[in-house]
Amino acid sequence: MDIESIYSQVEAEIQRVNTPLAWEEFRTKYLGRKGIIAQLTSSISSLPPQERSGFGQQVNALKMKILSLLEAKHRVLSEESEIPQPASCDMAMPGKAQDLGVLHPVTQVVEAICKVFERMGFSVVEGPELETEYNNFTGLNIPLEHPSRDVFDTFYIKSLSADRQACPAGKQAKSQKLLLRSHTSPVQVRVMKSSKPPLAVVVPGRVYRPDAVDASHSFMFHQIEGFMVDTDIRFSDLKGVLELFAKAVFGPQIKMRFRPHFFPFTEPSAEVDISCIICQGKGCSVCGRKGWLEILGSGMIHPNVFKQVGYDPNKYSGFAFGMGVERIAMLKYNINDIRLFFENDLRFLKQF
Amino acid sequence: MKVTYDWLKDFVEIRLSPQALAEKLTMAGLEVTSLEYRGGEVVFEIEITANRQDLLSVAGIAREVAAITARPLKSLKHLHPRVLSSQAEQPVRVKIENKKDCPLYTAKVIKDIKVGPSPDWLRKRLERLGCRSVNNIVDITNYCLFTWGEPLHAFDLDKLKDNMLEVRRAKKNEKLATLDGLSRTLSPDILVIADSRKPIAIAGIMGGKDTEVTEETNNILLEAAVFDPIIVRHGRQALGLQTDSSYRFERGVDFETAEAASWQAVEWIRTLAKGKCVSAKKSVGLTKKKNKPIDLSASRVHRLLHIPVRASRIKSTLHRLGFTVKRGSKDKLRVLVPAFRPDVQLEIDLIEEIARIEGFQKIPQTLPRVALKPFENRVRDLISLTKNIMIGLGLNEVITYSLIDKNLLDCIGLSQEQQAIEILNPLSKEQEILRPTLLASLAQCVAFNLNQKQEYVPIFEVAQVFLNHPEGPKEEWRLGLALCGSRSFVLEEGFVKDPVDFLYFKGILGALCGKMGMAELQFMGSAIPSSLDIHAGKERIGLMMMLERKVLEKLGIKNKNVFLLELSLEKLFSLASLERRFAPLPKYPGITRDISFLLKETISLRELLDALLAQGQPLLNRIKIVDFYKGRQIPSGYKGLTISCLYRSQERTLTETEISPVHELLCSMLTDRFAAKIR
Repeated sequence: MDIESIYSQVEAEIQRVNTPLAWEEFRTKYLGRKGIIAQLTSSISSLPPQERSGFGQQVNALKMKILSLLEAKHRVLSEESEIPQPASCDMAMPGKAQDLGVLHPVTQVVEAICKVFERMGFSVVEGPELETEYNNFTGLNIPLEHPSRDVFDTFYIKSLSADRQACPAGKQAKSQKLLLRSHTSPVQVRVMKSSKPPLAVVVPGRVYRPDAVDASHSFMFHQIEGFMVDTDIRFSDLKGVLELFAKAVFGPQIKMRFRPHFFPFTEPSAEVDISCIICQGKGCSVCGRKGWLEILGSGMIHPNVFKQVGYDPNKYSGFAFGMGVERIAMLKYNINDIRLFFENDLRFLKQF
Repeated sequence: MKVTYDWLKDFVEIRLSPQALAEKLTMAGLEVTSLEYRGGEVVFEIEITANRQDLLSVAGIAREVAAITARPLKSLKHLHPRVLSSQAEQPVRVKIENKKDCPLYTAKVIKDIKVGPSPDWLRKRLERLGCRSVNNIVDITNYCLFTWGEPLHAFDLDKLKDNMLEVRRAKKNEKLATLDGLSRTLSPDILVIADSRKPIAIAGIMGGKDTEVTEETNNILLEAAVFDPIIVRHGRQALGLQTDSSYRFERGVDFETAEAASWQAVEWIRTLAKGKCVSAKKSVGLTKKKNKPIDLSASRVHRLLHIPVRASRIKSTLHRLGFTVKRGSKDKLRVLVPAFRPDVQLEIDLIEEIARIEGFQKIPQTLPRVALKPFENRVRDLISLTKNIMIGLGLNEVITYSLIDKNLLDCIGLSQEQQAIEILNPLSKEQEILRPTLLASLAQCVAFNLNQKQEYVPIFEVAQVFLNHPEGPKEEWRLGLALCGSRSFVLEEGFVKDPVDFLYFKGILGALCGKMGMAELQFMGSAIPSSLDIHAGKERIGLMMMLERKVLEKLGIKNKNVFLLELSLEKLFSLASLERRFAPLPKYPGITRDISFLLKETISLRELLDALLAQGQPLLNRIKIVDFYKGRQIPSGYKGLTISCLYRSQERTLTETEISPVHELLCSMLTDRFAAKIR
């Protein structure tokens, strides 16, 4: 075949090259080890010497032409291949991936809150849910006859040894009766008894109270407790730390206020409100037209608590705070019924 | 506690609008929870904290208003007793069984009263607080209750038997018809006022119908007393009867107030019902110890609150709140606490008073500077890792109650050897025991979701279970999994549904243990039917099970299999290691050879794979099952398998001639020892 006809053949064939596979076949046919160009080149030696140089140049020109055609075609093909082929892949079909599971919204809120405090240097500590009466009450300056010790307000465990008769709560003076902790504060007592200040700790966990279940009450819920103790901790530090917390969890536009309150284990004590996140403080049904939402209780650790754990109240001061996780989650996600958290309807869980 | 704006103004001049006053009270710790207009007057509803029984009165709240607004308190001076005693009168005898139950009892005899309706102003004031007007005598006792916080009670004197009163514990099954018209059965936990025959009132809670003051009453006995808060609380709980009176006695009433309020009542009865007080009997039991003075350092106020307050300002604030302040040295104040403030015992309590009245809003926000050492919490870190692996594998976290119904364990066939820990005071059967396993709750949760028409329920929970060990109760972190239904995939051939089975658990545990740096787990037959024990090395660390049909029926689950798994995280974590060391990548390429064969169902695949791997050493690197099939092409009793053998050396590139003899050996082992038919 003469070179001219190969030119026209090449021009015609390259038109029909429409896939990467055809491109590769075309390339091999002409430029492969046993391809047409290689055959032409090897035929040079059989030519009379005076024709060799001219023929060689022609073959080279042909090779350059083929290369440029190939290159041009490659560009066209690679552009085309990036365009999806609607016929072969219907993007309305479900994607192919393992569905992710979700963490329970309570866990997510616990993690988010702990993270805020961990960034401030707090450590996360947990404690048992079965507690002694001492850690749950006495160690926290809650007197023996305090109403919260009633069987109406705390779950007690049936005495484990058969000889000890179960008796109503609060009647035995120095018993080590076991109960289900009614708050996370007993971990305060545990940590302070086993470590020395300075301390900054947050305690997440389950707590239990014999409340009849309704849209806003549950006999089991979660709390996060936090406390800090050192030689010179002031009430202003409590305000500063909780301000950082509230803004991190509810947004920088949130306003906060501290209202005097009473808790046996702190003095002075304060309840903390944030401006209503629904109405921005204008007053709505969620905040009861007050413009404020109560989110936690707090205060300076009571000197009697320090005495119980063997700290010198004249040397150390500290603050403590505690909040209900479900309440925070309900406010944050606009959930109106606490029972949803424990029903575990997948249609509920998957929203978070 | 409800209070009206005009009633407060009896005691203190107020130059604030009701709204502004409500705000001030709230920010001083007397949270105003509602403010409404009733009969042209403003009624505040105030939440009083448990430590401030002195604020359960208009006078008490007025004292706070005076302190907050820095206005003087109008005279709270108590009236002087005026008894027109006559010798002819036979005094009423008062007997107190136990002075601990009743530290103070005063009985005033008032004669010749005219019982009738109360004047308008009195009636309206009571009605605005939601208190029904009865007659002038009852209204006056209620008026004194609201004004001073001391509950008073008037008995019809002529209905007392033998002119005597006794404060005593009720006898078992004694009966009393109370003012609300109910007949109540009493017990020795309840303190009563009795005449010589029978109880006539429940002390501190409610009077009796028989001795009620009516239109016909001429002479009364007016009781003002102090009862033990605890016995009043127990009585209230036992009878399920809370009253304005019990509410105050439970929180404590002080002697001075009781006395003052009763003299005030005598005075009102004189002016409004023309009654003459002819005798005043007082029986004092245990007197409260006088509060010691408290030393308060002004510099300590500053140190703790971070606001500068001068000693003189502290002094005037405390004075307005009813404290007596003596100036000691420059910085030190000596403070005497009034009887109505038993909650103030320490310097810190006084500092709180200052903070409250100054306002917490004045305290700046600072950040503490503390040199902290972080606590390690490996368990929490590993739990968090575990949960994240689970959600990555498509499982959803649930949180179920730790208290469950005892029967639920039996229902699932999981009754434990040891009895579960029982709750003394559950509210319902669903709270009987502390669960020793997560599985029962998870099975319930699956049933619930199937009812909501879920096709596929993959859930997990991480929580503590409660074990009743002989040496004492123990809590243990567990991971529970439940799977039910089918997972759907879209493949070339269309939608494929794959029903879950134990291999799903194997896959999940493989991912978990891999991440935890643990060796593969083993699964062995268990004593519990349809279940497998999970072993790590020699130790049993958990259990997986398929619920039996009869259990599914009890749970109301139809046509579905439910798979449950529980692992002790304590045991798992003790074997976990997150340490990693890099193993060099292979330098030389490997060669893979596949073998397809038919294998009898009865032959253990595990054993076969182990034997082949041992046989192929040292060149055989790994065997993988790459295909598995059963079906029409396979004779029954057989399964079809394809395994892929990877040969590799660390020293050189292997050649076909090197591996062929080894591979032949594997093939003959398959046919000779395991009776496999190579295809």
